[in-house]
Amino acid sequence: MKRNASNVKSGVAREGANSLLHLLPFARPYALQFVLVFGLIVIYNATSVLQPYLVKIAIDKEISGPHIHTRGLFLITGIYVLVVLLGVLANYLQIVLLQYAGQNIIQKIRLELFTHIERQAMKFFDGNAIGRLVTHVSSDTETISQFFTQFFLSMVRDGLSLVMIVVMMFALNVRIAFYAMFLIPIIFLVSALFRKRLRIAYQTTRTRLSNVVAFLAENLAGVRITQMFHQEYRQAQRFDVLNRSHQTANIHEYYVSVQFNRVLELLGNVAVALVVWVGGGEVLHKVILFGTLYAFISYVRQFFTPINSLTQQWNTLQSSMVAADRVLRILQTKPAIEDPLLPQEIKSGLGKIVFDHVTFAYKQGENVLHDLTFTIEPGSFVGFVGATGAGKSSVMSLLMRFYEVSEGRILLDDVDIRHYRQQDLRRVIGIVQQDVQIFSGTVLDNIRLFQTQITEEQVIHAAKIVGADDFICKLPNGYQTNILAKGANLSMGQRQLLAFARIAVQNPRVLILDEATASLDSQTEQWVQRGLQTLAVDRTTLVIAHRLSTVRAADQIFVLDQGRIVETGSHSELFAARGLYRQLCEKSGVESAYVLSTNM
Amino acid sequence: MRQYLITKKWSYTTAIFSIILSEIVSVQFPHVLGEFTDALSRGALTSVLIAHYAFELLVIGILYVLLYGVGQMLNGRSGRIFEYQLRKRLFEHWESLSTDYYQQRSIGDLLNHAMNDVRAVREALSGGANILTNAVFLLLATLYMTFTTISVQLTFISMIPILLVPVLVVWFGPKIRTASREVQEALSAMAEFTEESLSAVRLIKATASEEVEAQRFSRKVQEIVKRQMHMVKRSAIFQSSIPLLGSLSFSIALLYGGLLTVSHKILLGQFVAFTLYLAMIITPLQQIGFVINNFQRASASLARLRVLLSARPSVVDSKTAISLPHVQGAIEVKLDFFRYPNSEHKVLEGIAFSVQPGQTIGIVGRTGAGKTTLANLLLRVFDPPRGAIFIDGVDIRDVVLRDLRTAIAYVPQDGFLFSTTIAENIGFAKAEATPSELMQAAKDAMVYEEIVRFKEGMNTQIGERGVTLSGGQKQRVAIARALIKNAPIMILDDSLSAVDMNTEKMLITRLKQLRTKKTTLIIAHRLSAVFHADQILVLDEGRIVERGTHEELLQRFGIYRTLYDLQQGEQGVTV
Ligand SMILES: Nc1ncnc2c1ncn2[C@@H]1O[C@H](COP(=O)(O)OP(=O)(O)OP(=O)(O)O)[C@@H](O)[C@H]1O
Ligand SMILES: Nc1ncnc2c1ncn2[C@@H]1O[C@H](COP(=O)(O)OP(=O)(O)OP(=O)(O)O)[C@@H](O)[C@H]1O
Ligand SMILES: [Mg+2]
Ligand SMILES: [Mg+2]
Repeated sequence: MKRNASNVKSGVAREGANSLLHLLPFARPYALQFVLVFGLIVIYNATSVLQPYLVKIAIDKEISGPHIHTRGLFLITGIYVLVVLLGVLANYLQIVLLQYAGQNIIQKIRLELFTHIERQAMKFFDGNAIGRLVTHVSSDTETISQFFTQFFLSMVRDGLSLVMIVVMMFALNVRIAFYAMFLIPIIFLVSALFRKRLRIAYQTTRTRLSNVVAFLAENLAGVRITQMFHQEYRQAQRFDVLNRSHQTANIHEYYVSVQFNRVLELLGNVAVALVVWVGGGEVLHKVILFGTLYAFISYVRQFFTPINSLTQQWNTLQSSMVAADRVLRILQTKPAIEDPLLPQEIKSGLGKIVFDHVTFAYKQGENVLHDLTFTIEPGSFVGFVGATGAGKSSVMSLLMRFYEVSEGRILLDDVDIRHYRQQDLRRVIGIVQQDVQIFSGTVLDNIRLFQTQITEEQVIHAAKIVGADDFICKLPNGYQTNILAKGANLSMGQRQLLAFARIAVQNPRVLILDEATASLDSQTEQWVQRGLQTLAVDRTTLVIAHRLSTVRAADQIFVLDQGRIVETGSHSELFAARGLYRQLCEKSGVESAYVLSTNM
Repeated sequence: MRQYLITKKWSYTTAIFSIILSEIVSVQFPHVLGEFTDALSRGALTSVLIAHYAFELLVIGILYVLLYGVGQMLNGRSGRIFEYQLRKRLFEHWESLSTDYYQQRSIGDLLNHAMNDVRAVREALSGGANILTNAVFLLLATLYMTFTTISVQLTFISMIPILLVPVLVVWFGPKIRTASREVQEALSAMAEFTEESLSAVRLIKATASEEVEAQRFSRKVQEIVKRQMHMVKRSAIFQSSIPLLGSLSFSIALLYGGLLTVSHKILLGQFVAFTLYLAMIITPLQQIGFVINNFQRASASLARLRVLLSARPSVVDSKTAISLPHVQGAIEVKLDFFRYPNSEHKVLEGIAFSVQPGQTIGIVGRTGAGKTTLANLLLRVFDPPRGAIFIDGVDIRDVVLRDLRTAIAYVPQDGFLFSTTIAENIGFAKAEATPSELMQAAKDAMVYEEIVRFKEGMNTQIGERGVTLSGGQKQRVAIARALIKNAPIMILDDSLSAVDMNTEKMLITRLKQLRTKKTTLIIAHRLSAVFHADQILVLDEGRIVERGTHEELLQRFGIYRTLYDLQQGEQGVTV
């Protein structure tokens, strides 16, 4: 019968089982707990069997037997209570142990999943909604753990009962027991018939649920926009569509699983009727005794109790397989950018940057950068200008190795950046972007990014350098003020100043400012720039700016247009050249007007 | 919750009815078997009779499965509809809440409510209902049998431990609820962390702080394990004690019943039957323990949801709110001071200015001066005090919110975009916009030329928050989204900061054309975006320190002049 149980299991599994098998290593450290749980279940089952047996002894020996002892009755009751207590204790320990293992397994999977997601290249995040990733981490893992707890428990407990029942049947009458075994292929067949339907149903529900989550997450983040444009009704309707389609799938899934469970139960009831019909005939013809028939009827009924609860767990199995699939799909997504096996140490070098015939596309066939070649000398201050969408930020993303070049190579201190470890590279190159990310937590932690080895003094020093100290001191608790999620209680420029303080703490050798001062007023901008200069005079600095005053002093300015460098030189050289840069300059005076062409 | 149960009362009644019916049917099973046995022992059994009994059993089997299945399905269905309705209600509720609410709560936490808590309630509602009906029926049936057939005294005495079950429930219930609430809170904290961390993944990568983040995450996860185990221990004790009480009852029956039998107060047969009945109580007791446990957890979740749903929006239509369908665009501000809720600091002080319909106002000022705050007040993102801000002479606190926001087109400083297509984003405020209108808006925002360069043009999917657009493209899509409203008032909050000078100039010129006779407020750091304004306000530390036209301000040699020199001066050297 054990065989039967495992048959049912392997019948279910195949595709999904693979996913679960891949997750098995997470459970391995808890093998001991599982063995203990097994033992405890055996004890618990034994006490359950023992209880009626004790009653039988009490009845046969003490109550109705030839020697009636009230003392014996007390004794047996005492033993009975002890057995009950033992059973309860075993049951309690079993629940706690199993949950302990289960919870630890989820913990491990969660950690692995989270670190794995963080290892992914930026491309991954362009295509995966954060709301969805959050459900993977929080709820799919939970579902998987049910496999290790509920399903395991039921396999052991119900498996044991099945074995016992089958043994009893064979002990009673081999021939009839043999006939009864025909039930097994039928059960198997029914399971096979439902397998695919159940699986699809689960998958649909899960996918639709994560659509709901993704939509919800995004709309909570953008609720202010919805309200400002008073689109509450329309967004609610959109939500309703997703929500309702999840409801439909959810109900359908439940129906299928109820049908499956009930069909098996029906099978059991039909089997009993058959036993009565066939067995009754045999009793009539005196082939078997009535007692045997009676016992068989009850065994066949009992046989279906564990089967039923096993099939209940079948649903658990299905859902955890679907969840495992989803989690595994992420765990098996290799980060698009990986560290080399033998990474080069970054020399405490200078910060020379070379782009060597670099071509790049986010989407195949839509090149954003075309054949870029340029050199940035160590310690120089370089400006990047150009129309919006020209590809300036993309250049920096490549240098940070957020994305991988399609063709060509990028060198830092004469070594291809692909030969460095990403983290090493990013410790050397720092970037401040226009949209600042703020964590909920104190100002202090936001500046040092939770790296506790950085002292408060260092943080304050950095904040002073970039001129953030001023506004921080005005906050209710200074550096210990809690910032709300996403920096909601700071002005945009203040968030920007925090980002500068961060970079001042890190003080990287190469610094990229990607329109980092765009939300600062010119006065503050000047202070920030002076501050950053005092921090390191020989730093290589790359600045993207639309306000040309920001880059005017650069040693070299690159002018980008539609993914190509069209002009290079210092401000005065470029200005003299009367090209695109000159044009931009002429537009950037405060009062210079623009005459709109008529086709606009 | 209660309302829901009432609206679904028919479904639930039918479900419970059919489950009870199925139990009644299934109780017939031993009865038929008994008749079969009787017939056999009487020797009256024929093959016809056997077929008859077998058929009866078959019918009972089928009926039971059908009835119970229908009950299950109905309950499950109601539970899932409840889940749907609860989420729907949450979403609509969330949409009504104001910004200050969202500043206090994180998205991850709210998501956890909508997912885990809602599910916990549903599970208790649909799964619990089946099992509970079943268990209670069995329990009552057995109790009835024991009371009617066997010594009442014996029954009473052995039932004493079972009477303690309610005590257990009262004792453990709140503990399990608290523990469960703590678990949910820890789960929320993790979801919150994950959401925040993944949103900031670019920064985490750029600063190589993956390990630090992983450690922080690990702390959240460990906390969950700790709290889960705490809850598991409590509910395991609870769940094991209920059958324990059942077994104790049984041992009393064994002892006392045994003694009664020995002293011939009751018959042996009665004693045996009694113990058999009592044994039948254990399983339903176990199930009831299980269900009550689930109900406790669900009620913790329900309480969390109730807290959430009881939050009231702080910005609402006043009772006497008047409709203002045709706004001309006159704005009058007479603000003494403004503090953000929960803050001591006066962010704005003594702000007074007025705008004639059709004027363009520029607002400049240092970082943190309060420019965005002013825009927030105009839009009632935060409510200004009464009598402070008037549109067309009406206090905006007395204007229907919908009308106010219809009248104002807003481009926020962080132009949030949705992860749909460009077209849908531009048409966000105007469901009925035609493709040519969308195109025109994109052209007016000077972004059309770049959009057509994408392979899918206006139908390009732009990723979460528009990640696949460049900074300037995002801003201009947000501008297009505001322009398509063609509203009498428009507010641009530093919305040209990421576009190049060329494009900015074109945009400003185009805006001037489009918004003749309409009021426009431009907040900017680049003076080139505001120099053409009819009036420029210079804010510093929450006060208006200078005001006037560009030329006037230049003559005053104040903050404006300083900014001008910084931006223009260096330019001027070479020109
Ligand atoms: N993650 C992405 N996936 C696909 N396309 C992208 C992605 N990021 C940017 N692009 C596209 O690449 C082009 C160059 O974008 P980039 O951000 O480099 O421009 P930019 O020069 O920095 O412009 P801006 O001045 O507006 O910031 C744009 O057309 C943009 O739509
Ligand atoms: N929700 C809030 N709760 C408390 N204080 C806030 C909140 N939002 C902003 N502040 C504070 O109010 C002040 C003004 O902020 P505001 O966003 O209006 O500045 P701003 O002029 O728009 O600056 P920027 O040019 O940097 O965008 C700042 O000191 C800021 O810290
Ligand atoms: Mg950019
Ligand atoms: Mg602002």
